[in-house]
Amino acid sequence: MSGQNRNLREEIKEKLNNNIMQTALSRFADQYPEARRKAYANVDDIEVLRDDLRDMKRKTVDNIEQIANEFESSVKSRGGQVYRATDGDDLKQHLLQICRENNVHRIVKSKSMATEEIHLNKYLQQHDLHVRETDLGEWMLSVAGQSPSHMVMPAIHLDRKQCAEFFTQALNEEIPSDIPFMIQTARRVLREEFLQADMGISGANFGIAENGAIGLVTNEGNARIVTTLPRIHVVIMGYEKLIPKIEDASKILRLLPRNGTCQRMTSYMTMIDGPTPVIYKKGEEWIEEDRKLYIILLDNGRLKAAHDPKLKEVYQCVRCASCLNVCPIWTLVGGHVYGHIYSGGIGAILTGLLNSMDDFSKFSDLCIGCRKCESICPGKIPIPDLIDELRSRAIQEKGLRLPEKAVFQNVLSNRKVFHTLLRIASVAQKPVQSGNFIRHLPLFFAGMTKDRSLPALAAEPFRDRTTRLFKKNPKAPVIRAAFFSGCNLDFVFPDTSESVVKVLQNLGVEVIFPEGQNCCGKPVLGMGDRATGCKIAKKNIEVFEAAKVDVIISACPTCTETLHKTYVELFQNDPAWLARAQAMAAKVREFTSFVADEYKKAGRLVPTKKKALRTITYHDSCHMKRGLGIFEQPRALINATTGYKFTEMKNCDKCCGMAGAFGIKYSDISLPLLEEKISNIKNTGADTVAVACPACMMQLRGGLDQQAPNIQVKHIADILAENLPH
Amino acid sequence: MKKVCQNWATEAFDDNLVNGSYWEAFEQNAKNASAEIIHAEDLSSAQAAIADLIVTLKAKSIIATGDEASPELASVYKGIETMGTPIYTNKFAIAEHAPTADLGISTAEFCVGETGSVCVDAYSYEARVVGMLPPTHIIILNKNHTVKNVTTAFQVISRVFKRGYMGFITGPSRTADIERVLSLGVHGPSRFFIIAVDKMENRRVQ
Repeated sequence: MSGQNRNLREEIKEKLNNNIMQTALSRFADQYPEARRKAYANVDDIEVLRDDLRDMKRKTVDNIEQIANEFESSVKSRGGQVYRATDGDDLKQHLLQICRENNVHRIVKSKSMATEEIHLNKYLQQHDLHVRETDLGEWMLSVAGQSPSHMVMPAIHLDRKQCAEFFTQALNEEIPSDIPFMIQTARRVLREEFLQADMGISGANFGIAENGAIGLVTNEGNARIVTTLPRIHVVIMGYEKLIPKIEDASKILRLLPRNGTCQRMTSYMTMIDGPTPVIYKKGEEWIEEDRKLYIILLDNGRLKAAHDPKLKEVYQCVRCASCLNVCPIWTLVGGHVYGHIYSGGIGAILTGLLNSMDDFSKFSDLCIGCRKCESICPGKIPIPDLIDELRSRAIQEKGLRLPEKAVFQNVLSNRKVFHTLLRIASVAQKPVQSGNFIRHLPLFFAGMTKDRSLPALAAEPFRDRTTRLFKKNPKAPVIRAAFFSGCNLDFVFPDTSESVVKVLQNLGVEVIFPEGQNCCGKPVLGMGDRATGCKIAKKNIEVFEAAKVDVIISACPTCTETLHKTYVELFQNDPAWLARAQAMAAKVREFTSFVADEYKKAGRLVPTKKKALRTITYHDSCHMKRGLGIFEQPRALINATTGYKFTEMKNCDKCCGMAGAFGIKYSDISLPLLEEKISNIKNTGADTVAVACPACMMQLRGGLDQQAPNIQVKHIADILAENLPH
Repeated sequence: MKKVCQNWATEAFDDNLVNGSYWEAFEQNAKNASAEIIHAEDLSSAQAAIADLIVTLKAKSIIATGDEASPELASVYKGIETMGTPIYTNKFAIAEHAPTADLGISTAEFCVGETGSVCVDAYSYEARVVGMLPPTHIIILNKNHTVKNVTTAFQVISRVFKRGYMGFITGPSRTADIERVLSLGVHGPSRFFIIAVDKMENRRVQ
């Protein structure tokens, strides 16, 4: 699947049309959050457990060589053997040698992602060894010649009929699609494999340096049999599985089963420390001896990652795959689209580190940065940030594609050119515009307007309205604020910007609009072009320093996050600009949270008692909720507003599918996300949807315009402004 | 029989960590994991419970461990054998009969309240096959040996785990690999019984 000639768009289309997979994944995505919540119901504080795991793993990676040495000497002192393989080829050759030395012919395997990573089975089969996967899902897939689409549920993309076909094919007998029958058949067939095997190969969920034990977590029990019946046991594990102490295993075990399979513990948790007895029949006689134990530590890029200040965070991964379970994109396209072995967000990162950056680049932009994964990851890995980091490195190495380079470096980084082009576009779009939406675009943009209208650029951008608006600034202001509009609120939704100004002025705030402000830089940074991003950031910092204000207000969560967090990260190695970026970041406030604070101080943040005429629901923007942690304030503001009855929608914080440029580049994926969002909105019966993000507003208005034109989408600023005296 | 620790009660337990107070949480979680729990006042009522199960399960051949460490348990097994069902306790006999036995019986060291897991010391080969190959597995344990959660379980384990094979069993073998439908007994046992004995001879001296 990692071939050079992949047509990702075609693959995605095929997956979106695969009804069996779509049904399976959407049902799972629906059930997972509640099942996970139940598994954690008897835990006092999940965050404490997550912090413990992260901290333990961080400490380990910082001393990885020392821990690996300790692990190796613990295993050796107990009579096991340890081999450190630099890569897949090295590992395969060494393993083959072990097989030859021990006269091995038949091998049973329990799940080991590391062996998938290096395509071990194929190699062993080429060398005339009989190899059987024994995890039911892995076994079915190996029969079918497929690879796992999920680390924990490898065959989730299949239904029982397809499974029965694989059974039939493998066993050469007709197997009906009856699940219990299939399970019993697998038990019978694989039991023979276990009993005849000379060697068992397992992975490891952890390896303990203190005593040299490895730990395995399974439900079927195949790992327990693989490590019990054959007279030789080979463990193949990555360095990231090492932990210092026996007690550290509990830090993994309290989270991994709960996040991975929504269980408090899997059926079997097995720890093996050194060679253990095995009894088998040699000739006519039963004998007992110590099983030979070989542990192979696989590097394959891991040790380099361990010394990388950013990427070492992948060591915090325990392979629970819950990042996939909550990923809106994985839920639509499944795991195979991600090409290599590890799928989803963490898969993109692991592929880049362990396979190749070329493979990473092919699908790295399938991450929309919604941060759902980060919010539940047991090891608290900032997955979207690591993807950004890798993207930016890929760009540094290979450069941008030409059209993007031209746009980023010549247009976006130069405000005057960019804004001139936007103004020209606002006139040029006239022939296709209808009302406030572009309903028909030239043919090559057709995918963008299917089931969704795109907004027209406003005839009069916000920056041309400021003179008129700022005449109403308070005479004796309590606060002086600069408004950072961002591109959308300046050129697409200037009316919302007017609402922002009105609400702030009503609070006694003097609002100014520094004319030299440019795009926040997110589109450029999101594509990995840090050089242009820095250029844009410096310009904005200069402009806002000169404005001499108390606060900088943005009504776009993405811009807020970029100004508040990203600029500071950009200048980590540039002390002078770092100080300036920090000074700016300290002043940046997201609009709704600022207003909610001010309303509270003024006693205005109280639920209204007046009769509601309209029903309203609220859509959480990804960047707002998980990037900035703001989700209570917008709701409090709505509840304090006259005329609306608030109601929550299902999956209120699931991405609407816009996600910056993603929605346009991958419109095939963006649209199903939008459709789900719209159906959740419709099901509330609300006639208004509140948002606090202009990008979400663009996506939802576009979708509702075509599919439910009676439902209005309003920015919180517009809702608040309506309530103020004219 | 080889064990990670020959006497967990004296070498690994202390009253603060291991006592009977987490039984209820354990029982609930174990049941949720499809374990079937039978209460027994002492080992002789455990023997009666096992005898009932042999009849219900129509077991023709049994493999069992734990008799070496406990003469009382050895006499339970003898008692069962006199009822007419062969019960193999010698390690080579266990190995030979494991693929065809209908029932495996072994012991556990302690229970984990948070998860419904039982901690098994399975250093010996025979202790492992007894629990994995037959379609039904019975665990006999002392219900006064419970710990609060996985963290405390590992505090206990870390005191004695120097080498060997051990772990947790939480309910029967299961899979959800086909359409995420839960199915029991894919590779290991489909039924997992816990006989919880209140008065057991190796109970720690308080």
